[in-house]
Amino acid sequence: MTLLTLIWLPLLAAPLIYLAGRLAGRAREMALLALLAAWVPFGLLVTARGNAAASFTYGAITLQWDGLALLLTLTALGLGTTVTLYSFWQMAAEPGEEKYYAMLTALIGTMIGLGCARDLFNLWLWFEAMAVTSYLLVAFYREQPASLEAGVKYLLQSAAGSVLVLLGIALVLAETGSLDLAPLPPESSFLLRLAGGLFFIGFGVKAALVPLHTWLPDAHAQAPSGISAMLSGVVIMAGLIALLRVLTLLAGDGPIWGWLLLGFAAANITLGNLLALRQTQVKRLLAFSSLAHMGYMLLGLGVAFLLGSRAGAEGSFFHLLSHALLKGAAFLAVGAFLTIFHTFTQDHRPLLISDLAGASHRFPLVALVLSVAVLGLGGLPPLVGFMSKWQILTASFASQNGWIIALVLLAALNSVLSLAYYTPLVNTMYRHKPAAAFAQATALPISMTLPLALLALAILLLGFWPGLVQGIVNNAAGALFP
Amino acid sequence: MILTLSLTVVGLILIGLYGLLAVRNLFKLIITLQILVKGAVLALVIAGETSGRLQLGQSLAVTVIVADTVVAVIALALAVQLKQQSGTVDVGRLDTLKG
Repeated sequence: MTLLTLIWLPLLAAPLIYLAGRLAGRAREMALLALLAAWVPFGLLVTARGNAAASFTYGAITLQWDGLALLLTLTALGLGTTVTLYSFWQMAAEPGEEKYYAMLTALIGTMIGLGCARDLFNLWLWFEAMAVTSYLLVAFYREQPASLEAGVKYLLQSAAGSVLVLLGIALVLAETGSLDLAPLPPESSFLLRLAGGLFFIGFGVKAALVPLHTWLPDAHAQAPSGISAMLSGVVIMAGLIALLRVLTLLAGDGPIWGWLLLGFAAANITLGNLLALRQTQVKRLLAFSSLAHMGYMLLGLGVAFLLGSRAGAEGSFFHLLSHALLKGAAFLAVGAFLTIFHTFTQDHRPLLISDLAGASHRFPLVALVLSVAVLGLGGLPPLVGFMSKWQILTASFASQNGWIIALVLLAALNSVLSLAYYTPLVNTMYRHKPAAAFAQATALPISMTLPLALLALAILLLGFWPGLVQGIVNNAAGALFP
Repeated sequence: MILTLSLTVVGLILIGLYGLLAVRNLFKLIITLQILVKGAVLALVIAGETSGRLQLGQSLAVTVIVADTVVAVIALALAVQLKQQSGTVDVGRLDTLKG
């Protein structure tokens, strides 16, 4: 019952939030309340179940609560609550504010459901529900052609991907007569391999595997900043977790899927970093860096699938958590600057790197958070991004396979290369004369600075004591590789 | 019977994939997506029949139809909004976001 409450509380709250916003103008308080309330069943589940996986049957549907579900729920709920609080001031003047909070809460609910799915069809259904809510959030500024363009591109690619997943499900059903997400007997059949390929493409669109990533920079750059943080921190990770769930089904079929993950890892790391290098818009730069970070995670997971070892998966899941914190902090800090910039320019033009000039003089806290976040993304110790990348690289190095070691070197070099586009942000904020937009701006409210400070604190804490989340991360890896 | 239906699925999928590449009008693209989904729905029913779990296949098909209608509605809403804001539904002209 607790699990059902956890999943349905945000989903049922969504229409109520809309009504509260329409009738009383209280959408944001209601949304924050609903999300805070969702922490109660989450806490109860964690304390009651400990590390043990459990499945719950409701009528014909079975849901399961395991390490991977816990990881996704923690990330979605944690970042979601932060983003809701952060949006209080930023979205206050926007028309359709109540829809924003309703869809955001529903998005969090669907992601929790996605983590708990135990059969293929449930997985698809939650995946589709998550996609539907995120389409509306990406195209939130519906008066602006650029925002609509990003929404249309995202919808078309994502919808085509989800049809391919359905075809894969049909093939698995026809071959095995079952939809359970339990490992199939190790025999390769052409149809199952075809199904695996379809899953890779279908879920890969959402997980932004290069070359299926083309929707991502547009959507991340055009969505409201809170939603950019959610998309980059959790939604693409939910796509990755859906892909991993179906890969455990097919893992008996030799090393092909592990190598495929490593191939995408190489493409994502290289292309993500090279494309980020030439960006002038801050949000697009962060979007392309998400591609590279997805690549680091794929590297660890590919090694784990190839060798059946948990170490790579543990590193990747730690990186998933740390990326959510870092990218969340980065997008929210940029969003604060973007709001100030738009108040100054009175239009919706994108924020360029040069527009950040001297931002630290007027807004030292936000500039500090953005610097900590981007340096953490670049992998500087003692921030959390270093610890998680380090775990992935050491786990991959332990494989003693020439190809994988070459890939590790590529990833390490790319990590250094990424500093070439992260450090100019810091440099512009601290070493340039303040731009007019910042000189005249008023101070930011505490509802905006508090979430930023909390995220920065978490980045530092986990950098010094990665052991704090090691239990969660190990459990998530254990759910994939028992 | 199964063979004919399977060939229909392949036909629908091929038409849909060709349409995704060739069609530029957003409204027609949404219809193309619908053709693809209909292929997938039929595939689910066939998969249920051949694996001896026809009821499962049929219930999946009905659920997919419902879920996909929601996607179609949102897509059409976006298309209408796009037509009003930028005066075009030609996806080839959706090229302001680059880099």
